[in-house]
Amino acid sequence: MRKIMRVAAFATAGVAALALAGCGSAGTGAASDDLPDSIPETVDAAGETLTVWIMQDDYNDATLDAMKTEFTERTGAEADVQIQQWDGIGTKLSTALGTSTPPDIVDIGNTQVAGYAANGALMDVTKYKDDLAQGNTWLSGLEDPATVDGTLYGIPGFAGNRAVIYNKTMWAAAGVNAAPTTWDELTSALDKVKAANTASDFSALYLPGQHFYVGLQFVWDHGGEIATQNDDGSWTSTASDNIEALGEWQKFQDTYSVASADTVFTDSPEQEQIFADGKAGAIIATNGSMATILAANPELTDADLGSFALPSQSGKGTQPVMLGGSDWGIAAKSDNQLLALIWAQIATSDKIQKDHVFGDQGLMPNSVEVGEQILPDVPAVKSGYFEAALTSRATPASPGWTDVESAGILKDMFSTIASGAATPEEAAATYDQKAAAYLK
Amino acid sequence: MSTNTATKTRRRKLGRPSPIANTIALVFCILWAFPIYWMVKTAFTKRSDALNATPQFFPTDPTLDNFHTALFQAGFFENLRSSVIVVAGAVAFAIVAGLFASAALSRFRFSGRRTILVIILLIQMIPGGATLIPQYFVFNATGLLGTYFGLILAYVSATLPFSIWMMRSFFLALPRELEEAAQLDGASTWQVLTKILFPLVLPGVLATSVFTFMNAWNDYLIAYTFMKDQSMYTLPVWLASFSSPITGTDVSGQMAASVLFSLPVVVLFTILQRKLVTGMTGGAVKG
Amino acid sequence: MTQKTPKSARAFADRRLPALLLMTPGGILLTAVTLVPLAVMIWMAFTDYNRRSLFTGAYDMVGFDNFIGILTNEEFWWSFIRTILFTAALVIGSLLIGVAISHLMTRLGSKMRILVTIVLVFTWAMPNVAASLVWNWLFQPGYGVFNWILTQLRVFGDMTNTDWGSNTGLAFTSIWLLVVWQAVPFLAMTIYAAETQVSPEYKEAARIDGASERRIYFNVTLPFLQPTILLVTILSVIWDFNVFNQIWLVSHGGPDGTTATLGVFTYITAFVSFDLGTGAALALITALLLAGLTSVYIRHLIRSGEDDL
Repeated sequence: MRKIMRVAAFATAGVAALALAGCGSAGTGAASDDLPDSIPETVDAAGETLTVWIMQDDYNDATLDAMKTEFTERTGAEADVQIQQWDGIGTKLSTALGTSTPPDIVDIGNTQVAGYAANGALMDVTKYKDDLAQGNTWLSGLEDPATVDGTLYGIPGFAGNRAVIYNKTMWAAAGVNAAPTTWDELTSALDKVKAANTASDFSALYLPGQHFYVGLQFVWDHGGEIATQNDDGSWTSTASDNIEALGEWQKFQDTYSVASADTVFTDSPEQEQIFADGKAGAIIATNGSMATILAANPELTDADLGSFALPSQSGKGTQPVMLGGSDWGIAAKSDNQLLALIWAQIATSDKIQKDHVFGDQGLMPNSVEVGEQILPDVPAVKSGYFEAALTSRATPASPGWTDVESAGILKDMFSTIASGAATPEEAAATYDQKAAAYLK
Repeated sequence: MSTNTATKTRRRKLGRPSPIANTIALVFCILWAFPIYWMVKTAFTKRSDALNATPQFFPTDPTLDNFHTALFQAGFFENLRSSVIVVAGAVAFAIVAGLFASAALSRFRFSGRRTILVIILLIQMIPGGATLIPQYFVFNATGLLGTYFGLILAYVSATLPFSIWMMRSFFLALPRELEEAAQLDGASTWQVLTKILFPLVLPGVLATSVFTFMNAWNDYLIAYTFMKDQSMYTLPVWLASFSSPITGTDVSGQMAASVLFSLPVVVLFTILQRKLVTGMTGGAVKG
Repeated sequence: MTQKTPKSARAFADRRLPALLLMTPGGILLTAVTLVPLAVMIWMAFTDYNRRSLFTGAYDMVGFDNFIGILTNEEFWWSFIRTILFTAALVIGSLLIGVAISHLMTRLGSKMRILVTIVLVFTWAMPNVAASLVWNWLFQPGYGVFNWILTQLRVFGDMTNTDWGSNTGLAFTSIWLLVVWQAVPFLAMTIYAAETQVSPEYKEAARIDGASERRIYFNVTLPFLQPTILLVTILSVIWDFNVFNQIWLVSHGGPDGTTATLGVFTYITAFVSFDLGTGAALALITALLLAGLTSVYIRHLIRSGEDDL
């Protein structure tokens, strides 16, 4: 029996060594040595497969089909597109990118890409930037987080932002017939809507306390930053320098939103459903939410909806909006990096951006030039979004920002302020202390 | 006469039924079943009616739309197939491996037996997700990632220690004389095992199978992380798709999905219920 | 006359080959799929493996730094205390209710008993992932029916907008309700099955001697149930100590990590902060703590059934 135990022990050690060897190897893709200096128009890769990971709801079937068709035309290879869930994606992506057979190219949110870029998970695509940009200037909110120390690791896919969606019909009934363009017009409009709808669960503008995207807008609007980069490259969390902005956030949320919204996020209860049920006169959401609203209440139509950018509290222009969106990242350990580059080039081409990303899905294209080109075609109901995007900012491009968002401490800060559980000073101090550990 | 005595004995065993007890039981049932009722009620409620400041205790306008969406627009059958494959495989492997091992650990004497028992017990104490990443790398190195077989092995590893423990306590309850008598009748070891010992611990086998089943049916993290192809995901991953930070939560759809997700398990438990309880207690009462 | 000697029983037990063969399938499985990753995890606990290490393979051996770091981390001890208290609350709660329901079931007519059994089985069978989602819906601020019912009862005032997930005490209450709701059935049914085995003669005798039903329960029934209760208690302790899904889905360990039991704390360390080395060390410490807590019973379990071998 003992002899067998000893043999088993050796076997165990052996397999363990094997496993460690598997995960310990840096595994520089041999492909990177053979890659050409620019992306070719066609390549003969018949029989090969490119593994593409897409986040749920980012690209729809029509867009993906268009990309796949062009990809196969140019390369003869097939693209295997896998849709991923949001819950647990951090773990899944990190482990998958760490193996020697990772997905070749992945669709990562622009607030997450910095973490992967800085940690060596993604391929350095700096020398292909011109080929990929195809003559356009990428939106800085998408490009900055993908750039570390001047090296480009990601390719902008599309952008999204948030604006106010309001119920035109309801507002007209309350006596407001035009979208507000200044802060004072906004508050007076909301006051009228509030006065005309007195149900206890009605919000003139339903704003969940955890909606940090909007909270950050207030910070930026007052000229502040949530984190700043020091000369030596490290980051400092600066929420405590923005007490006035945080106070304004609290006042706004408190005045126009029901108490039940104080500590929740936009998804539970679903704010689009609340709006569709007539319990909110306005919400702040992405333009994809319009489709959700119309689906949630078939009695509403496009004519009932409108959008506008949140006016600046300074009296001029609109509040800087947080530019969301996503970037493409090519796995550093992928064996199909050339094919992945071709896919990325297709995904960021003018044709795909104009016809599908914008045309089909209504998302914002990834570059300034294409953005200007499509401006005339923006449906009136969505004009608020594109207007808002002209003044956009990105979350700090620190690699630690991914962890800050995953840990939910930003949501905690805004919701404790909204609910009154902490004063802006206290909440900001708590947040800064925790964020410091992540931002380093 | 025999039936009368049997009923009377049973009555005496249990104590007289009392109306107070019946009333308390009724209240208990209403309270305890309420969450399930609410889940089912919401599943039949129209999406636009679900969020209501004054809850409706009976759906005013019941609809099957949510079930329709869940079944046909969300990939239910694909993921159901995966779940069934994985769960069946996990239960089969766990029974075979567990039955054999627990027989060895309880009816035989060999050095190192106590050490193995302690190791098996200690393994159960490790928090569930802790071995996820090391397992991920081992599976990746052996090419098991993204395969049903790999996922089955992962689930078996999670429940095998518990299965061995449970079945062992059943074996311990059997008297030694059984092997003795069988041997005297000329039975080989294998025959003793398969014809006498194994059949007697069937309730225990059933009980531990159910735990393995539940564990594999319910898991999200391992299935999501280990599987690469979305057509090979299991039902918990399917269930998660009803709520996303971008599109929010469609409560009635989510509740319909939850009903579909729970249904097979509930049906199984209902069929096996009495055997399960005997299975749980057989080892306990005598052990 | 055939001599039945204990020797023949021992001879069966002493057969080496069958034992070995029987252990093989389970042994191989356990070794390959559990023990090897476990060894890797133990090794990881002595390194500073993190997200960067995943991609570049670069890491350092840090000896006992992770362990020292954990043991000197205030958050860890808070999580530990929380886990002990919460586990105790769960076990005691489900046990008390389970024992009560079991006794209730002995006093029911058969139809009522079947109804109770059905309710218990459904509750027990429901996967805890689905149950957690239902709970979130029941307790949802603004539209959750539970809040509405509580408001109607006028005991706590207006609870309509209470967000249970964002207040430590409320979050624990809600999760406690969820876990106990699904834990009671197993306890109740197991104890009930044992309770039906209580010898009616003892009870009759006690009744004739003039003992009240209450005395009978405490002096006759409960002692008989002791081994069963002990078994299900230990099982409950091990299961409740490692409750994860319900806590994660209801409160994500918040607000501010104040509902993070050791399991959730480990998960957040390993998978959110991606500090895998520390996460591995945490897992080890948690396992050792649990083993320590249940050590007495473990020894008893191992020894039982060994006496006649």
